[in-house]
Amino acid sequence: MTTTAIQTPPTAFTTLALDNWKLAIAGGLGVSISACLAMPATSSFWVVAVMMALVAVTFVVNAFRRHYYGGLLVSPAIAVLFVMNIFPLLWSLGLSFFSYQSNQQAIRFVGLANYSKLLTDDLKAPELWANLTNTAMFTVLTVSVQMVIGFLLAVLFAKQFPLRRYLLILVLTPMMLSVVAVGVFFSYYYDPTFGVISQIIKAWTGEQFILFSSKAGAVAGIVFADAWMWSPFVMLLVLAGLVSVPTYLYEAAAIDRVGSWRRFWTITFPYIRGLLMLALLFRTIEAFKMADLIILLTKGGNDTMTISYHVIRIANEQNKTSEGAALSYLLLFVVIVLTNLYLYIANRRSQGN
Amino acid sequence: MSTIEVKKITKKFGEFVAVRDADLSVKAGEVVCLLGPSGCGKTTTLRMIAGLERASEGDIVIAGKRMNELPPEKRDIAMVFQFYALYPALNVGENIAMPLHFEKLSTEERNKRINSVAKILHLTEVLDRMPGQVSEGEKQRIAVARAIVRDPNCFLFDEPLSRLDVELRHSMRGQIKEVLSNLSKATVIVTHDQLEALTMADRIAIMKDGMIEQVGTPHEVFAKPANVFVASFIGTPQMNLVEADLKSFGKGVASIILGGSAVEMAADPAVSKLRPSKVMIGIRPRAFTVQDKASKDTIHAQSELIEPMGAETLVHARTKTGADIRVVVPREKRVKIGEILHLKPDAKQTHFFGEDGMAVRT
Amino acid sequence: MATSMTIWEKLGFRKASRVGEAGWGHTLWAALVSFIYFLPVLIIVITSFKVQNEALSVPAKFFPTSFFGLIPEQYVFTPTLENFTSVFSRAFTTGGAVENTGFDRYFFNSMFIAGTSVLLALVIGTLAAYGFSRYPLKGNDTYLFIILTTRMLPAIVVIIPIILMFRIVGLSGSYPGIIFLYTAFNLPFTIWMMKSFFDELSLDVEDAARIDGSSELRVFFKVCLPQVVAGLAATFVFGLILTWNEFLFALLLTGSDTRTVPVAMNQAVAGGGIGVLWGLLAAIETLFLIPVFLVTFFLQNHLLRGVTFGTVKR
Repeated sequence: MTTTAIQTPPTAFTTLALDNWKLAIAGGLGVSISACLAMPATSSFWVVAVMMALVAVTFVVNAFRRHYYGGLLVSPAIAVLFVMNIFPLLWSLGLSFFSYQSNQQAIRFVGLANYSKLLTDDLKAPELWANLTNTAMFTVLTVSVQMVIGFLLAVLFAKQFPLRRYLLILVLTPMMLSVVAVGVFFSYYYDPTFGVISQIIKAWTGEQFILFSSKAGAVAGIVFADAWMWSPFVMLLVLAGLVSVPTYLYEAAAIDRVGSWRRFWTITFPYIRGLLMLALLFRTIEAFKMADLIILLTKGGNDTMTISYHVIRIANEQNKTSEGAALSYLLLFVVIVLTNLYLYIANRRSQGN
Repeated sequence: MSTIEVKKITKKFGEFVAVRDADLSVKAGEVVCLLGPSGCGKTTTLRMIAGLERASEGDIVIAGKRMNELPPEKRDIAMVFQFYALYPALNVGENIAMPLHFEKLSTEERNKRINSVAKILHLTEVLDRMPGQVSEGEKQRIAVARAIVRDPNCFLFDEPLSRLDVELRHSMRGQIKEVLSNLSKATVIVTHDQLEALTMADRIAIMKDGMIEQVGTPHEVFAKPANVFVASFIGTPQMNLVEADLKSFGKGVASIILGGSAVEMAADPAVSKLRPSKVMIGIRPRAFTVQDKASKDTIHAQSELIEPMGAETLVHARTKTGADIRVVVPREKRVKIGEILHLKPDAKQTHFFGEDGMAVRT
Repeated sequence: MATSMTIWEKLGFRKASRVGEAGWGHTLWAALVSFIYFLPVLIIVITSFKVQNEALSVPAKFFPTSFFGLIPEQYVFTPTLENFTSVFSRAFTTGGAVENTGFDRYFFNSMFIAGTSVLLALVIGTLAAYGFSRYPLKGNDTYLFIILTTRMLPAIVVIIPIILMFRIVGLSGSYPGIIFLYTAFNLPFTIWMMKSFFDELSLDVEDAARIDGSSELRVFFKVCLPQVVAGLAATFVFGLILTWNEFLFALLLTGSDTRTVPVAMNQAVAGGGIGVLWGLLAAIETLFLIPVFLVTFFLQNHLLRGVTFGTVKR
């Protein structure tokens, strides 16, 4: 930004130099295309990779010689994200227009057939809707529970008190557990015969308690486990907001004899609003993707199937790769709509005030 | 009655004693400044009066009621914070209104009060703005407005002007003083700026290392400092404090050896109680007259450094024994570096301090 | 008034000495809540010291000792370390030979893969964040938005092509493959977090360093980095927690040599046929929790400061 180095003139197109990225692209493209045409898939892939590396090197050398530090610093990250996220995403988009099963070799272009099948098929469309409503229900329930519990925990830990450090880490621990362990051990706690919860309820009512015997019970069980695991995350964000409120504001409020309700809304809340929204966004997206806990707790039984689990089933267990890709694109569409809705509301809020 | 009484309060933070046995009483309508260098415990004292810190020992009595255990909400006080503590999410008007919600006033009454303080402090134009959109000086006035919008037992100011530039500070000093004189409440102002204290206070309490060294009117602390610390802290340029040997005292005249010169000067009769010994002599830089010739009541010193200060000139001179003496001379008096000065101290402005650092005075 | 302190106040059950502070009374509340919240974890830890039939006993046995007869015998179990040794080697069939379970390898894998990929993401992401913050490109915000969006992607959208891609390149089941994937998985968060940290720093200090003749590299390493240590620590902990326990990618993309603990744990649960070995599973999870617990504990102060600093102004 402050560098005022004299710009080195760009290298001429025909010169064979390490910073001639235009030539590298042209040459690399030529070699890659001919390799793809002439060689088998595996070896041509490597040729393309080498050519991409060559282009990358010329870019780097060019940027370095001409002080494009911005591009230089950003490029490794962009490259990694491109290879591992954007490229697979495009591939997945392409796949969704084909008929392809990973356990069969045949591949056939079918256009939008996968999508129309998912959305209109007499058998699949109602299932999809049921799974979507299930997912929405899980998301609303678990996120609201997490927000409330996380917020209350944060309020509890916002003050300075002895041993706070040690107690806080105890509350943070659930977040550090493996989902597998949480899933398996909650099924242990929920177990009708030797589970702790069932034992307590049995001692109370005298009847055997089977949580997963109804849909409501199953949903409650899953939401409880998920909320227990992730409320600490909300707590951490809210706590960060709470401790960032300068003490002198609370002191001034004490002097001004401001009541606790007004103090919360006029002093505390403005500081945590942004973080609450952030926690809401993160947790909503994560909850929308929820699959692993359900796999471990109910295996989708009792009508607890979510859309994510559905995709995994189609793509991985039933090997319907392209149908899974189409479905995941529908899912992505929903996530993007949700995110934009959130950003719209968040922006309007901040402008409104 | 709006009074504050602080009786032997002590504040300990673990092993560290921030305030030790501080005594202070503020009458209704009186402005007392707590003055001292940073870390001397003046802000802690103020925060204990406000109830933001609990006193470890001692009593705090506000309006005749002991308030040690009461939280700030119950003390009915108003305070202006060093960093103003404006509520960032509320606009200026709402900020000023905050202390009024407790009183459950009608909306009209509340607006009337806000508008009247806004008028006094010239804030009417900015009432709808957010704290982030107003200038430093306006922020400061908002903080004052929030304090005076209601009728509390007393006012507390924590370094109210420290964030303003010199010019604003000067005008705000006047404004605050004017506002306070109309309210006739007990007021405590914490400051490290002696000019602020000298101009705004009815009385000044000077603190050092958690102890109150002297309480007195601005004139008293300047003219009759109780000890070496007060003497050195009040007044610019700083008072000269030079070690000297007291030889004898008779008929109101003390014979001393100061910086290698034998000097005779009129002194307070109490000096007679000092046995011939080492004493500390305090002389204000403006209390010297420069003589042409040496005599028995002059000090011999050689000028070393000259600092023009506008109307006057500050001369740093060195005695034969190497002690540094600051002398303020009028601008017309040209002093050259290296020149030998014969300095005659004004006996009335000369202070004797014993070995314990306390002033020797009847 | 020093004498007015009651015995309760001496024990710490006093009113707060200043606004925003609380005494032991508050600690008591917090301890109660924390304990209840921690209870499921505690039961896992306790279970790891139980043999199978004690883990399944009714009523549940909670106490390792009877505290000199204070607790009725039916709630007391005999603690054993058997589970911890059988995490690493045990007989798979009753009476069979004691075999190595490979868990030493899986623990190494988890540490190696999570550690390397989080550090790699931290290095690449910090560089990128510095670039985005100090040398904005054309369309800087668009890039940042796209990066954030990739974080929101459901993993399953990209997992199919990645499986296919890895299969072609021969990376499936190898260390570089999964490490590379996790690096990409951690990058968006790292970039956003670190960028907001760099945005907060005062540019004056950097310009002063430049005027003093420091190179751009020196400015970055000696001036900027030391100021964002809290952010690096917070980002590291978040990344570590997420990567350490990641299950889906690991399940589909690791081979028998590169398997991580969550996957192996899942197999230990599923396999066997004689139901879940609760004590064993609890021992695995307890061991698996320790490293990330310790890291979080020691970086806790940074964690809180990091979150505040990095997100409050966004």
